[in-house]
Amino acid sequence: MADTVAVERRAKASGPVTGGSRTTERKRREARAAYLFLAPWFVGLFVITIGPILASLYLSFTDYSLLEEAKWVGFDNYVKMFTEDPRFVSSLKVTTIYVVVSVPLQLAFALALALVLDRGLRGLPIYRSIFYLPSLLGGSVAIAILWRKVFGAEGLVNAVLGVFGIQGPGWVSDPDYALGTLILLHVWTFGAPMIIFLAGLRQIPSSYYEAASVDGAGRLRQFRSITLPLLTPIIFFNLVLEVIKSFQSFTQSFIVSNGSGGPADSTLFYTLYLYLKGFKNYDMGYAAAMAWVLLLIIAGLTGVNFLASKYWVFYGDSK
Amino acid sequence: MSSGKKMWSARVGGALLSAALLATTAACGGGSGDSADGKVKLRFSYWGSDSRQKLTEQVIKKFEEKNPTIDVEGEFSDWSSYYESLSTKVAGGDAPDVMTIEIKGLREYAGRGILADLAGKVATSDLDAKVLGTGALDGKQYAVPSGANAFALVANTAAVEKAGQKAPDDATWTWDDYLGLAAKITEGSGGKVYGTQYTFNSAYLTIFAAQRGEKFFDGNKIGVTPETLKAWWGNFQKLIQTKGSPDAAKSAEVDANSPDQSLLGTGTAAFGMWWSNQLGTLSKASGQELTLYRLPKAKGATTSGMFLQPAMYYTTSAKTEHAAEAAKFIDFLVNDPDAGAILLSDRGLPVNSKVLEAVKSKLPPADVKTLEFMDKIRPELVDAVVPPKGASGVEDILKRYSEEVLFGRMTPDDAAQKFLTEANAAIAG
Repeated sequence: MADTVAVERRAKASGPVTGGSRTTERKRREARAAYLFLAPWFVGLFVITIGPILASLYLSFTDYSLLEEAKWVGFDNYVKMFTEDPRFVSSLKVTTIYVVVSVPLQLAFALALALVLDRGLRGLPIYRSIFYLPSLLGGSVAIAILWRKVFGAEGLVNAVLGVFGIQGPGWVSDPDYALGTLILLHVWTFGAPMIIFLAGLRQIPSSYYEAASVDGAGRLRQFRSITLPLLTPIIFFNLVLEVIKSFQSFTQSFIVSNGSGGPADSTLFYTLYLYLKGFKNYDMGYAAAMAWVLLLIIAGLTGVNFLASKYWVFYGDSK
Repeated sequence: MSSGKKMWSARVGGALLSAALLATTAACGGGSGDSADGKVKLRFSYWGSDSRQKLTEQVIKKFEEKNPTIDVEGEFSDWSSYYESLSTKVAGGDAPDVMTIEIKGLREYAGRGILADLAGKVATSDLDAKVLGTGALDGKQYAVPSGANAFALVANTAAVEKAGQKAPDDATWTWDDYLGLAAKITEGSGGKVYGTQYTFNSAYLTIFAAQRGEKFFDGNKIGVTPETLKAWWGNFQKLIQTKGSPDAAKSAEVDANSPDQSLLGTGTAAFGMWWSNQLGTLSKASGQELTLYRLPKAKGATTSGMFLQPAMYYTTSAKTEHAAEAAKFIDFLVNDPDAGAILLSDRGLPVNSKVLEAVKSKLPPADVKTLEFMDKIRPELVDAVVPPKGASGVEDILKRYSEEVLFGRMTPDDAAQKFLTEANAAIAG
């Protein structure tokens, strides 16, 4: 979308001021060139984005094994999901816990570190890069494998605990702890929201703080009355983004649990269950229906987020 | 911007577009067939490790030498994503001419009309009839086995003796003997070496149930009773209680590891249950001499319950345009000693008696041992059962409920009922 807008804007800007038909002819030619350049992107949009999305909508109303023709079954898949599939419900529960716990924790952590870094430390770029690193790596397969080793029953974490005489549990292999460990992994990838917070903090004019301190406001008061309100749009942005992202989490659970969502379904994320349904049980129609339910859930949550934002997000320019 | 430049950009844009379109059409047309040089092109899909890929490339080369008019192209992926990519290709009408599948996928594919009948097209007179029989469904030979494995107990006898215990007599031992011995080994080694690593592999339950006169898959139903399931889980619970195995969490962790990272592979357990073709990997990883034993028996059982399972099957697509060439390639893979000499036991020990005879002297020591073991147990074997459609999901269901029981999150009664309901639903359709 951004591409289209940019090209159109450029086409307008470069149009000459003089001449009637010559201009339109020229404009038309320019537009043609623009569309030609955009063509690969359009092909991509229709062939590999919109096409499959519509196809999956159709498939969600069918019984489709991948190996045979799809059979129309109406709303059966959707009905089954909510009435006779306990694993669907439990995957929804696991994912909800994951999102509700890990997103606020992650954002709080990111904000706290951004505040510390904003104090104008020496070597800030270095710290920034170091803290950002987990965000780049966190969703990767390699880190998930490493995580499995570090948090294994005889992994690094338990070795360190052992020094203090504590017998640690199997952090990823015990169903009581496995989800917690994945939440920790998610919180650890706080770098991306942190960078955005840092940018947001830089936007707050320092004159506000100066005025506040003249009025005798302490650090905490300044944070509550200046930093936090002015940062709410950024917090909101991060919140929306992270909720969407974490609802779609897949890799961590897939790798750490060896693709099973185990032990005992304790890390069965929604997307992992969707994948297992489609590719392991050959129930592609059901998987497609699950994808649409996920889309509705995320759209709904984002909508609620936007509605709620009226009450707590403060935009400096609109009163 | 001058108009000359613009013309240029439009032209480049057009060129790019047509290049993109060309690329797309070329990619779409790739499935159908023959090379430019008039050779018949065969596509052959299989899964495995790098070493298997190398061997397969060699065997393909050999085949092409003997059949200069055929060009075989291997399509290779690792096991975990194999069925995903294969079923996607089949769904897209782009099925490879020759497909490797395993027993759990056989009914899934054959039952859906994807595979061709190979009867009379591939010579099978020298193949082990029992193993070959598993590739026939409803009177049609959909699949030809590449080789066979047995699910057996792999033992590190040195570790058993080091713990002050005697190696068992596997012809007579019972489950109680096995569980008791495992506990004593852990105790005797001072906790450094566990008695055994347990597994939820359905082959274990299949054998365990057969000894009690029950079939794991009985047609389109699960044939094990809740009592058998509870007794089976009882084995695990006893191992955990007596420390014959690590606790549930640690066991879940090692269970996820590859054979070389298993307890047996790292020399930290005396026993483990594995498919016999893994003996080589396990021996190499542990650096110890490992032995194959029969699985223990239930008291008073009349059958060992053990069976030879085809390691893989070669099948051809029902839609292939080159059925004769595809059959010829499979024939070469299973019947030609030259192919056998390259593949050896990579796809299970050959089930072709003539090929086996020809390559026997070339087999590594672990395979020779496996061969001796198989010959020893051959009279006691029962027929392997081809699982119904949906069986690939049952393995996961079994593992999940086993974990629920062993982590104490569900009672065995409850789990047995739920397992049966869910597994039956998975294979009913």
